[in-house]
Amino acid sequence: MASKIIVKNLIKSFGKLEVLKDISTEIEEGEVVVVIGPSGSGKSTFLRCLNSLEQINGGTIIVDGYDLTDKKTDLNKVRQNIGMVFQHFNLFPHKTVKENIMLAPLTLKTMSKEEASKKADELLKQVGLSDKTDIYPAQLSGGQKQRVAIARSLAMNPDVMLFDEPTSALDPEMVGEVLNVMKDLVRMGMTMVVVTHEMGFAREVGDRVLFMDGGYIVEEGTPDQILSHPKENRTADFLSKVL
Amino acid sequence: MKFFDILVQTFPTFTKAMLQTVEVTILSLFFATVLGVVFCMFKMSKLRPLQWIANVYISIIRGTPLMVQMLFIYFGVSMAIRATIVPDFRWNLTVAGIVIMSLNAGAYMTELIRGGIEAVDKGQMEAARSLGLSYGQAMKKIIMPQAFRLMLPSIINQFIITLKDTSLLSVIALRELTQNTRIIVANNMEYFIMYAIVGIYYWVIVSILAALAKMIERRTTYGK
Repeated sequence: MASKIIVKNLIKSFGKLEVLKDISTEIEEGEVVVVIGPSGSGKSTFLRCLNSLEQINGGTIIVDGYDLTDKKTDLNKVRQNIGMVFQHFNLFPHKTVKENIMLAPLTLKTMSKEEASKKADELLKQVGLSDKTDIYPAQLSGGQKQRVAIARSLAMNPDVMLFDEPTSALDPEMVGEVLNVMKDLVRMGMTMVVVTHEMGFAREVGDRVLFMDGGYIVEEGTPDQILSHPKENRTADFLSKVL
Repeated sequence: MKFFDILVQTFPTFTKAMLQTVEVTILSLFFATVLGVVFCMFKMSKLRPLQWIANVYISIIRGTPLMVQMLFIYFGVSMAIRATIVPDFRWNLTVAGIVIMSLNAGAYMTELIRGGIEAVDKGQMEAARSLGLSYGQAMKKIIMPQAFRLMLPSIINQFIITLKDTSLLSVIALRELTQNTRIIVANNMEYFIMYAIVGIYYWVIVSILAALAKMIERRTTYGK
């Protein structure tokens, strides 16, 4: 299998605070990588570096063969192929559900109006929100908002999806509906990097789990290896608190 | 009754003066918005000299009284122009009024527009960029429409402030509402009635504006 994302010696600081210290990993096409770790461990920052929402201070990141650190790389072009889902949804409140989904394909002219509309309808069906087409995000529940946000990212036909704690801002009873949509994506073979506290999700669909702490990847392996038989004390310690 | 007699009698000149006031206000607000957008871009740009120009402009306008700005531009600047480029330069009164009010309101508009842009949740820009939109596209499609909605009450407020501030233009003898009143008072000596009348004119215009603002605000609220 080909590597979709290659991260080498990634370093990221905010001012004097070094948040990511020498991170290296590779993510294969179709792989589902779940990133876990305590808050402040750098896992969200790591994810945000993968589509260059954060400028990195050292190392290289290669996505789809594009070197994100190369000044000649058209980041806008690369980002079109990387979908991102945020903790707080970040839907566009001044656009209807369908307009949210159609906005990027129409603005970037990757689809005609008819194609974008058809695509939006398909995606809304996929996430189970066909009846919410013409309403504004403010009228949706948290779980529904997040499903629209996922559909919005998928409208650009990305081949990698990044999830930044997609269920952390949701009421407990809404977590399931979002995870189910994500599981559908796994079944469709999407390459996914998921920062989450949902250990059940990690165990069920994760191909690999990364445990991060203090700006390092402390341990990585299959869900079973990491979640059930951690080698590092820090991993065991963290798991004892969350499981 | 005397009050109504005078009200009817002075109505024609007040109509003219009101048009003058409204004309200066609307055109000034238009140019102030243009200035506001430009200087806001200066302020948000990465180039230090542009930031500096914007900061100096805002600082001068905010740090000096409007009356002084008027006297300086109308008398001072015209004198400087006569001494240098155009020997027989004289301000057209309306143009002078619009220049003064635009420059003044422009500084406030700059801060107001910037405030609106900064009030839009940071996640909006990130979401737009993560979809592949450029900074410009994200600004145009996502940030500005929301910022405008947030700014609207302050823009209307600025409109009302500018409208009332035009009364100061009477010091350069521009025949807007206040100057018109002063001219009439000089003849009929009806201080109480005349200044009450002009007060009513201002109040009516401002009230209409405020009502309009409420209406627009309600119409631009989405999905709540």
